[in-house]
Amino acid sequence: MSHDPWVWVAAILTLAVFSFLYRENPFYRVAEHLVVGVANGYFITAEYHQILKPGLIDLIARGQLNIELVLSVLGALLGLLYVMRFFPKASWLVRIPIAITLGYGSGYAIPRGMDASVLRQVGGTLVTPSDFTHFPALMAQAGQQLAHWRIDQALLSVLNAFGQPIIMLGAIATVAYFYFSSERKGILKPLSTAGIVFIMLGFGASFGYTVMARISLLIGRFQFLFRDWLGLIH
Amino acid sequence: MPDKPAATPGTRLTFWESMLRIPRQVVYLFIALAVIVPLFAPFVIRPTPSEPVVSLYNVIDSMPLERALVLSVDYTPDIEPELHPMTIVLLRHAFARRLKVGVLCLQIPGIGLADMAINQVVEEFNSRARTPQDSLRYGVDYIFWGFQTPLLTVLTGMGEDITKVFPVDANRTRTDSLPISREIRNYNNIGMVVSIAGSSLPLSWITYAQTVFGVKIGTGITAVSAADFYPYYSKTRQFSGLLAGMKGAAEYEQLVADGYPRSTAGLRRLATERMASQTTAHAAIMLLIIIGNVAFFATRKRKVKS
Repeated sequence: MSHDPWVWVAAILTLAVFSFLYRENPFYRVAEHLVVGVANGYFITAEYHQILKPGLIDLIARGQLNIELVLSVLGALLGLLYVMRFFPKASWLVRIPIAITLGYGSGYAIPRGMDASVLRQVGGTLVTPSDFTHFPALMAQAGQQLAHWRIDQALLSVLNAFGQPIIMLGAIATVAYFYFSSERKGILKPLSTAGIVFIMLGFGASFGYTVMARISLLIGRFQFLFRDWLGLIH
Repeated sequence: MPDKPAATPGTRLTFWESMLRIPRQVVYLFIALAVIVPLFAPFVIRPTPSEPVVSLYNVIDSMPLERALVLSVDYTPDIEPELHPMTIVLLRHAFARRLKVGVLCLQIPGIGLADMAINQVVEEFNSRARTPQDSLRYGVDYIFWGFQTPLLTVLTGMGEDITKVFPVDANRTRTDSLPISREIRNYNNIGMVVSIAGSSLPLSWITYAQTVFGVKIGTGITAVSAADFYPYYSKTRQFSGLLAGMKGAAEYEQLVADGYPRSTAGLRRLATERMASQTTAHAAIMLLIIIGNVAFFATRKRKVKS
């Protein structure tokens, strides 16, 4: 069993949080409030020591007038304008730092975001002749795996061989499912039906991953309780 | 669990009806046992590395020694079991290759966790060092820049001069006074950035660092968000490699153990040792899903008949 008092604190808080699985209770509430309070305290001190002190206070304390000091003080003054929200007569001043942050952020983010998350992704769904370069090899591999009764591996090889057309079909079908501007008839009907299948496959994958993630966290906590706290596992 | 069928007073529940009425506390207990038992009676699972994991390993393994590996540690303690093993195994891999390493945080909670991982791995390597040259020295072989904000300024500023973005490191030492700062000046000296995060931060690395400066980006993410990040790997290769959840970490541990048996012999493989519990818990959940569905259809059939 651990002799570290902090391990005991962590273990007791873990059990307090776990107690919620039975039902809502005061132990859980205490742990919940403690997390919020401690996290806020930690955030404020870290912000002060990592950002405010080296970036502003130390510069002012040094007393050397240079461009770094001027820019930092200017930034701090702009930041202080956020406090004006608490003064109704001067609350309009808060628009200045918001406008600067928003303008700078959007101007920088939109073109790059468009490139990284839209154009490149659309490009990634296109089928090109190079996507079929490995097609014969993958199909031959699937045949060999099937001959050895490695059905899962064979299926994976076949999916890899047809991977790019499937991605393209999935993207088109999913977009078709969300196209609400006309009645679902003609080509739109089977496409949107296929879209549902692709969406459900996506949800299934996400659910599987979510289960894995949550179980991972549970394993981490149990390992802490039985190993670090109680010393029952070595 | 599906909606519980109402019990009629005086009628006995069939087996499948009682299956639909299992209290949730019993389900929790079942899952807890499925996780706990393998912790006490572990069985060995040798992970088979998947393609995104192998890809990340290969990029780091073939990186020129004059290029540094940068880890962006941006996860909170609540998701530590999934992502912390990734930080540790990536540090082990980089130090085993004697790559220069820089660690930074874009989120405050990452500071303590990154510090813990660095101290652990440096201690592991230095306790085995036979000569002072074998030892890892702070400011020479690795640096912990600490936390900096705002995101946009950090990611773009690192393309020009890292010492301006991080004037002091996590220990408040001036970064321009450390020898490693002369070797890692900006993205030109960085072989790869691996963003280990439980949020969308890896996408910010792609948007600002890769799109603008062309630096290679890898990522370690929680399993929950894996499905959202795969499109950035599969064909576009915006991520050069990807570790998804504890399974991804376990696969990477296997690759490092196979590639660097001497450097990693006897070291705890956090993710791998947890995979036994992961496997039994998955089996337990699949069993519950099957029972739930069979019970649902069996009771529905009976209701229709009656």
